[in-house]
Amino acid sequence: MITLWHFLVLGAVLFGIGLVGFLTRRNLITMFLCAELMMQGVVINLLAFGRYHGSLQGQAFGLFIITVAACEAGLAMALFLVLYKANKTLDSSVWQAMRESGIPATVDTDALPVVPVETHPVLPVGGRLPVQPDVLMEESSRA
Amino acid sequence: MPSFLLNPSLHIALAVVLGMFGVFLMLPKQRLRSVPGGLLLCVASMATLAAFAYLRYGEPLLLRNGQTDIIGSVMFWFFSAAAVGFSLLLITQRNPARGAIAFAFVILSSCGLFLLLAAPFLMAATIVVYAGAIIVTFLFVLMLSPVRGPSDENDRTREPLLASFAGFGFIGLVLFALHQSSPSGPGLHDQQPFAVFLSAASRTKVEQAFRHADAVVNPGNDAEPVDVASAAKVTSTLIAEAFDSAPDNATGLDLLSVRRNDPHVESFFELTKSLLAANAELDEALLNNNTAALNSRIVSLRNQLAVMRGVQDLPSRNVANLGTLIYTDYLLGVEMAGTLLLVATIGAIAIAQRRKGVEA
Repeated sequence: MITLWHFLVLGAVLFGIGLVGFLTRRNLITMFLCAELMMQGVVINLLAFGRYHGSLQGQAFGLFIITVAACEAGLAMALFLVLYKANKTLDSSVWQAMRESGIPATVDTDALPVVPVETHPVLPVGGRLPVQPDVLMEESSRA
Repeated sequence: MPSFLLNPSLHIALAVVLGMFGVFLMLPKQRLRSVPGGLLLCVASMATLAAFAYLRYGEPLLLRNGQTDIIGSVMFWFFSAAAVGFSLLLITQRNPARGAIAFAFVILSSCGLFLLLAAPFLMAATIVVYAGAIIVTFLFVLMLSPVRGPSDENDRTREPLLASFAGFGFIGLVLFALHQSSPSGPGLHDQQPFAVFLSAASRTKVEQAFRHADAVVNPGNDAEPVDVASAAKVTSTLIAEAFDSAPDNATGLDLLSVRRNDPHVESFFELTKSLLAANAELDEALLNNNTAALNSRIVSLRNQLAVMRGVQDLPSRNVANLGTLIYTDYLLGVEMAGTLLLVATIGAIAIAQRRKGVEA
């Protein structure tokens, strides 16, 4: 026997945590994973109700949710690739020109910490150039 | 211990406030980020939530005789703590690749919970689809879009305090609504809301009918094969005896126990109606000697009888019965899901292949 309520509490908590992440994170991929997290909370709810009522309908619904999540993941990945190509960043705030009219733009005030870029040693140019294969072929045919 | 400390509403409020400030402190930002402090608050919040669930709802899993299922309970607490902990890690992690790995662990923990909820097929499907496919494709995208050093998308968050207030406020409201609407005391584990409306004679008949229908769905290893038609005939007769189908005569009901304002009365009548309708369909299939219809109808009748009878047991052959269900009742849904997958594949290819200057 199983109690329904513990699983409902867990589903609500997972959904809420996913909601926080979706609202506040700026990386598109993290936002998408948070949306999937919310969906996971919903699936737990469905399965718990199915178990509670002794019917398989909840599991059938869960199966459809997984299908939709797979479609979503494929489309989202394609979109992210296109968005990344356009601006070379996965930051969602780059696209804030698409916001509702009358809402002020978000401006980042605090500067990011500057991390010194490591410079790798560069080998100096020197010595003979390597022998090209076609030169070798010529030499062998001449001989 | 003073009694107000055991108040569930207080636990919810405490867990929400602690979790809100804990997540706020841990979210990546340039000022006011304190991982140890946030971690402490989040752990305290999770402990308060667990205390709420335990004190309000008792043990998560019980054995048939009402005793605590110790192994199941330990697994429930372990998997749910892991799911919540890794999901907190996912939203507070600066590195998105590590976040994706944390999400994979959330999926694995919730798959453990799926097993506790008697859904082994869904567990396997979730591991394959989420942990196998989705996480790996997202790691591919992350590798295609490298970020060096601190960046806007990973080291900044939008309105962290308001967002954690919104999310945890939502959690608090849902938990408070659950606390208000769930039964308390001895009725909490009572999973037989409908059985009280049946008279003793009808209850026995429903139980017998369920056993006959269940023997078709779940043949035991030692039993001889069940004849579907004869089982259906017995089931149908028993149901007809249990509920007199004349609309003004509720002989199956124990009218004394149909109390006023009982929230279950309405749904009980609905269930009775649909049970009788399913029984009529079964009779029709019996008359026409239609074996395929007989099989699918006795399965749906068995599920309704299971709800009516009150003891919630899922069929032990999960995959076979889930397959029967989705390829009979949800056939249209399966076809539409397949079409959706095809359209999504075409769409993904069309979007990702778009080049500059080439209009698709």
